[in-house]
Amino acid sequence: MANHSANHPAHVQHHFVDSDQQFDSAKLGMWVFLVNEILFFGGLFCAYIIFRAWYPELFTQAALELNAFWGGVNTVVLIGSSLTVAMAIRSAQRNEIKGLRINLMITILLACVFLVIKYFEYEHKLHYGIAPGSFWDPTPEKLAILDHPKANIFFSIYYMMTGIHGLHVLVGIGLMIWIYIRAGKGHFSSEYYTPVEITGLYWHLVDLIWIFLFPLLYLIE
Amino acid sequence: MSAHEHHGHHIASVKMLWSVGIGLTILTVLTVTVAKLGLPSPFDILSALAIALFKAYLVAAYFMALKWDNRFNAVLLIGAVAFFLLMVGVTLLDTMYRIEVVPSF
Repeated sequence: MANHSANHPAHVQHHFVDSDQQFDSAKLGMWVFLVNEILFFGGLFCAYIIFRAWYPELFTQAALELNAFWGGVNTVVLIGSSLTVAMAIRSAQRNEIKGLRINLMITILLACVFLVIKYFEYEHKLHYGIAPGSFWDPTPEKLAILDHPKANIFFSIYYMMTGIHGLHVLVGIGLMIWIYIRAGKGHFSSEYYTPVEITGLYWHLVDLIWIFLFPLLYLIE
Repeated sequence: MSAHEHHGHHIASVKMLWSVGIGLTILTVLTVTVAKLGLPSPFDILSALAIALFKAYLVAAYFMALKWDNRFNAVLLIGAVAFFLLMVGVTLLDTMYRIEVVPSF
């Protein structure tokens, strides 16, 4: 035990050889989880592809109900938050805990901006009865535009994909608040910042999914 | 596995991170602009997907630091994409070649 202490800082659990092995294991574990996430969203993308192949005219028509401007703004907001989370990791690596916390705070704020915009987008549609599945009950003026027997399918896919993505944003906010608090307690340093790194990976994946959702849902003309 | 072989994780430079961030923003504007052009049928989807794939590459390689990371993590990501394509491909082989679409769908 005593002759191990040089290689065993407090954060290294006893079943790891050293800090690097522990870090790499945690990261590998996170990547396996991200694979799982990709295939989880993959099922939804698969549904999207099948229905778009079956009803291409529906997708062209229904996508006009989505506001490409606000979708674009949200894309830039998420890119900005990915940048600040990468900056947060850089700060942790350089032992700049203040920078880590500032960057995390900006990331959390940007994530909140994303959800607020999303809320207004949902609110605007639900106001006109453009709701998923059996809740589909558009007002006569919208029904005139969305005159397709399968119109509710597009919006079911839209709400399901953006809803689950939004849920991931919410979880990300929770994780980053947790990291922010722990950073304030002095839990992280350039020697140990594994939770910052893997939360960052998660956040980038949330951005990655949105990179595909935005053109596939909002930009069909 | 000597200490210095593994020591020091790759620290991204501020310039590189901002370049990628700005590049992603420009590509977002580009994808909106291309969509507004109203290209004929297969090319609108193909251009949107090409830009999205390039953006995804930038995020995975630079923000997620796969470029400097253990190669195995990149293999996992590529493997996930491959299995996703397999899932889509096999499903389309069924759904695209039915005489009639299942009525309730």
